[in-house]
Amino acid sequence: MLIELHNVDIGYDDNYLLRNVNLQIETGHCHCISGATGCGKSSLLQLLAGTFEHSYQGQVKVKPNCIVGLVCQDPNVQIIRQTIGAEVAFALENLAVPLVEMQQQVRHSLQLVGLDLALNTPISHLSLGQKYRLMIAAQLVCHPSVLLLDEPWAQLDDQGVTELLGLLSGLLQRNIAVVIVEHNYQAFSSLITHAWHIDQAQLFCGDYLVKQSKGVARQRPCYQDSAAIYIETAAFELGFESSILFACQQPLTLQAGQVIAVVGSNGCGKTSLLKLLAGFDPQVKKLSVQVLQKLPELGVYGANLGFLTQRPSRQLFETTVLKELQFSLSRFDLPLSYASNILIELDLVALSELSPHKLSYGQQHLIALACLACINPKVLLLDDPFAGLDDYYSNKVIKLIERLVQQGCGVIFSSHRDDDMNLADTVWRIEQGLLTVESQSFTSANDWDHGYDDIA
Amino acid sequence: MMTLHKKLKHHYKNLLIALALVFVTVLSGLAFMAADDSLMCLAIINLLLIVHGILNQGSISGLLKFFSVQLVLTLVLYWLIHGEAKLLDGALVVFRIMLAVIPGWWLTLVCEPQRIGEVLAWIMPHKWAFVVSASISLLPFMGREVKEIYQIQIMRGARITPKHLRNPKNWSELIYCVLLPTLIQLLKLSQQMATSATNRHFSQRTKPVYWRNP
Repeated sequence: MLIELHNVDIGYDDNYLLRNVNLQIETGHCHCISGATGCGKSSLLQLLAGTFEHSYQGQVKVKPNCIVGLVCQDPNVQIIRQTIGAEVAFALENLAVPLVEMQQQVRHSLQLVGLDLALNTPISHLSLGQKYRLMIAAQLVCHPSVLLLDEPWAQLDDQGVTELLGLLSGLLQRNIAVVIVEHNYQAFSSLITHAWHIDQAQLFCGDYLVKQSKGVARQRPCYQDSAAIYIETAAFELGFESSILFACQQPLTLQAGQVIAVVGSNGCGKTSLLKLLAGFDPQVKKLSVQVLQKLPELGVYGANLGFLTQRPSRQLFETTVLKELQFSLSRFDLPLSYASNILIELDLVALSELSPHKLSYGQQHLIALACLACINPKVLLLDDPFAGLDDYYSNKVIKLIERLVQQGCGVIFSSHRDDDMNLADTVWRIEQGLLTVESQSFTSANDWDHGYDDIA
Repeated sequence: MMTLHKKLKHHYKNLLIALALVFVTVLSGLAFMAADDSLMCLAIINLLLIVHGILNQGSISGLLKFFSVQLVLTLVLYWLIHGEAKLLDGALVVFRIMLAVIPGWWLTLVCEPQRIGEVLAWIMPHKWAFVVSASISLLPFMGREVKEIYQIQIMRGARITPKHLRNPKNWSELIYCVLLPTLIQLLKLSQQMATSATNRHFSQRTKPVYWRNP
């Protein structure tokens, strides 16, 4: 037995996050814990890692000399150094591993996670998904007995997940235990030996919810007046002064009522493109782009453009969720009632009086999205909007986007996999340094069927 | 086994970093202690550091913005407290702050933080050397975070564009929307970095081996 939780409670009085949790982690086992957004999955993982900062009742037994490696949902919070070699080497430095051996182990760990880059590559040049792989390498180099992964599927592209599956399979064969917290447990079903789900603060054996199919043909009424062009570019090359991220050999447009998915693997340049369109300083060369008939510039669009960044929790500063939503509404002279309406629409009313800082990663993500959607912008740019969301809330977000699109909003969202593409009319696919445009086929219908089943 | 040549090269580099640390400390100290008529000499040295920093892919836009804001705030305060006659003194104070900060900016560009930590461990416990080097390596990240938070809040309608900030009534919004979330980020991050370091065997050996790129 490597780790054992016995009758563990987190919380107090009637406000328990987790109640009476019993869990045993043994060598070579792969546990997967699923559950709704904000149900306490990450807290449970922190408890297993010994990094849970709040009080709890019950027993947590860890075998002596058991090394536990944890990769957080947001890998940025674990990064200590500035280059990838130094980051992975940190644990080995502390163990006083001889330098030559250290360099070999660092290279080997980076190869295992498919991060085949120069050792002096600055971490700031990596995408979020690449940083996630880096942190897995930084844990693997410690030779952990238990590896804990918080939502790897959300952060990694398909190739990354495939590589991770091979890697985890090898670790399990070497009797290393793996615990994965994941909404999409099916991605790891070939490895899972113990499936768990959290429901109403209790840990139950078995799967959480049957994953909803997003592959249903889309049927929704189109926005009638789709002539207005919101974004227009000529053919371009996006990149830094010294290197190109990708080239686009044809003009791109976003029309009113159109949904575009930007799809590509980790690090292909999706975020840089969205930042450029939003008028952020993305550290890439400026392009000839017209967004709402203007060159992209920060702050010139007012309520007409919203941009959901990755790690949107950074923007939260108010004392309650409701006030956070009302901030933009008050600044743009819009009715404050829009805030309550969107909380109802996204089924987040229960959070309205809570501090946004105490919410889970997924909940903070939803609140940040709600802050943008409630101002009803003409153009909505969403960088990985489904990260950290369970199927229930993913469907809520999809319905929200559909509603905005029907009102004439043009939406561009990024994703590192094809699963979410049914939402889009058009796909901007970035592959091997080239952006190509694919039209999606979908059925127009007068009787709107959003095509996504509600979760019972 | 590492060759003698590599070892010597490594020690030589560390010696240069140690000299750079001493140089930067002295230069920053002189920015506050030197007489007014010596400041021009310091300014010339700092100018050379800026040129060298830019050649090492450094950006001075952040520095310029920082000093512009610093200059405006200081001059306004001097004008309010001392009147028009003391404005030149206010500008001189900002100039000295600038001369004190530039050497640190240059050091972060030319020396890797872990190498600074390695050198500092010659004179202080490894734990403290790590804290100093981790703080230095956090600076560029936090710089980028502040910039992004500022941009996000402008998009959300915060009255913090340079135009808005001409009105002192909007200064509180900058504190509320940018400084507060940045501090929250910094607190969270420092706590999580400490946890991350502990989980990766930090402080288990009194004499760690330091990483070097092959």
